[in-house]
Amino acid sequence: MKLTWFLEHPALRRAVMLSFVLAFGAFLIMPLITLLLWAFADRWFFPNLVPQVWGFKWWGWILENTDITKAAKWSFMIAPTVTLLSAVICLPAAYAFARFEFPFKRFLYVALLASNAFPKLGLYIAIAALFFQFRLIGTFWGVVLVQLINTLVTMTWIPAAGFSSVPRELEEAARDLGASPLRVFFAVTLPIAMPGVIVAMILVFLGSLDEAQATLLIGAPNIITMPVQMYTLVGNYPEPVGAIFSILLTIPSLVLLVLARKFLVSGYLAAGFK
Amino acid sequence: MLGLLLVLPPIFVLILLVLYPALEALRFSLGFVPADNPAYASGLDLVNSDTGSLEVFKKLFASSFFSSNLALTLRVSFVSVALLVLVSYPLALFARFGRGRLAGVARVLYLLPMFVPVVIATYALITFFGDNGWLEAILGTVGIPYHSVIRQEAGIVLGHVWVGVPFAVLMLSSGLDGISNECLEAARDQGANAWVVFWRILLPLNIVPLLIVMTFSFIGVFGSYTVPYMLGPSAPQMLGVSMALNFGAFRQPQQAVAMAVVSFVFCAFAGALYVWSTTRGRKS
Repeated sequence: MKLTWFLEHPALRRAVMLSFVLAFGAFLIMPLITLLLWAFADRWFFPNLVPQVWGFKWWGWILENTDITKAAKWSFMIAPTVTLLSAVICLPAAYAFARFEFPFKRFLYVALLASNAFPKLGLYIAIAALFFQFRLIGTFWGVVLVQLINTLVTMTWIPAAGFSSVPRELEEAARDLGASPLRVFFAVTLPIAMPGVIVAMILVFLGSLDEAQATLLIGAPNIITMPVQMYTLVGNYPEPVGAIFSILLTIPSLVLLVLARKFLVSGYLAAGFK
Repeated sequence: MLGLLLVLPPIFVLILLVLYPALEALRFSLGFVPADNPAYASGLDLVNSDTGSLEVFKKLFASSFFSSNLALTLRVSFVSVALLVLVSYPLALFARFGRGRLAGVARVLYLLPMFVPVVIATYALITFFGDNGWLEAILGTVGIPYHSVIRQEAGIVLGHVWVGVPFAVLMLSSGLDGISNECLEAARDQGANAWVVFWRILLPLNIVPLLIVMTFSFIGVFGSYTVPYMLGPSAPQMLGVSMALNFGAFRQPQQAVAMAVVSFVFCAFAGALYVWSTTRGRKS
C-alpha cells in the first residue's frame, strides 16, 4: 500500500488536508494570540487559561516611556530613508536589467545575490569593523547603510520583473503617436510596472522596520530602533510590556498588508527569483 | 552602455558593503592586522603575521566550544531546512491545487509570519511554547504533561520554521503556478495517481524553486542571530550568537571574524548549489 493512498479518497483527503491546515494554523496563530492576551493582562498567573485581571495598566506606562518613544522615532526615520535611498540606487538598475542589453548583464544580475549569500551575522561583523574605521558606528547613516545591503536584491529583482512585463508594443505605439521617451516612460511603462515597484518598496520598508541584528551591532549605543529595544524589554520587564510593544511594532506591518494586499497576491513576491 | 552605467550604483554598494568587508575579514583572520582599523587592531589575543598564517583557524578548530557550536549550527540548519520543506511543500501544493474556502484560508495564512517582525515572533513563541506558557496551561487542563522546547535546540528549529514558512511557500507555489493544468490532466488521463503525478511531474518541474528554498533557508538559518539568541540554549550556541559575543563582549574580533569566514565557506557550498541549479535550469 502506498504512503499516499488517502489521496485517492476524496473524503479522507479533505479530512487530512483540513487537519493539516488547522494544525499549521494553530502553530502560526496561537503564539500571536498569547501575545494579545498578555497585552491586556494586568495580572496573569500560570496555570490560568486567561488573565485573572484584565486591564490597560501597562499601556500608559509604555506610551509615556521616553526610551520607547525615542526608539519609535528612530525606526520611523530610518525605514523611509532606507526605502528612498534604496529606490534611488536600485530602480534605475532594475529598469536597465529589464530593457537594455549590455556586457556582463546576466553576471551582474546574479552577482547582486551575493548580498544574500553571506551568512548575515558574519557579514555584519565584518561591516562593523569597517564602520569603526570610518566612525559610522552609532550613527544614523551607519544604520541606513548596513540596512541597505538587504534591500539590493528586493529592490532590483522585483521591479525588474515588473518592467519586463510591460509589453514593448505599447511603448512603441506611444512612440509612434509622437510621445517623447520620457513621456512614454512616465505615461506607459511606469504605471504598468508600478505593482512591482510598490511591492518592492513595501518589502524594503518592512524589512527595515523589522531589522534588529545589524542595527544592534552598528547602531548601539546611540541608535536604538524598536526591534532593538525589544531585545532589552524581553526578560527585563513583565510580559505585558513586551506584548504591548510587539503589538505597537506590528501595526505598521498590518496596515501595509491591508493597503497592499491587492499587489501582494499577484505573484510579484517570488517573481525576482525566476 | 547606458545600461551598464545604470546598474553600477547597486553593484558599487555591493562591492563597498559586502565584498570589501568580507575580504578584509578574511585577511584579518589570516593574521594581517590592519593598524588603521581600531576594531581589529585593539582586539585581545591577536595573531599577527606578515605572510599570513592559519594559526587562528587552528586554535579555533582545536577549541571544544567552537566544535560543539559548529556542530549545533549545522544540525539546526539541516533540521530546520528539512522541516521547513516538509511543512511548506504540502501547503504550496494545497495553495496551488486546493479548491474552496479552506484553500483560500491556507493561501492567506502562510503569509502571516512575513508581517510579524522576527524579534516579536520569537517573543510570541516564548509566551506560547515556553515554561509556564499558554500551551502548558492548555495541556494542563486535560492533564497532558509538557516539557518546554524554549531554550533548547528544538526551540531554535521551531523559531526558524515559524519565520521561514512564507518565503518557502511563496517560492514553491510560484513554481507550481508555472505547471499547466493540461499537463497534469494528461497524466491523470493516463491513469497516474496522485503520488506518481507528484513524484514524476510536479517535483521534477519544480526542482529549481525547491533548491532555492533549501539554499536560502540554509544560509538564513546558518547566519541567524535573533532566533537562536531568543530561543536557543546558552551553551552550546549557534555560530551567529557566538560571533556577536566574541566580537563585542569578549573583545576577540579575530576569533569572531574567523568564525565568520568559516560560515562564509559553508554557505558558499550552499550558494554554489543554487548557482549550479539555476544555470542548469536556464540551459534546458
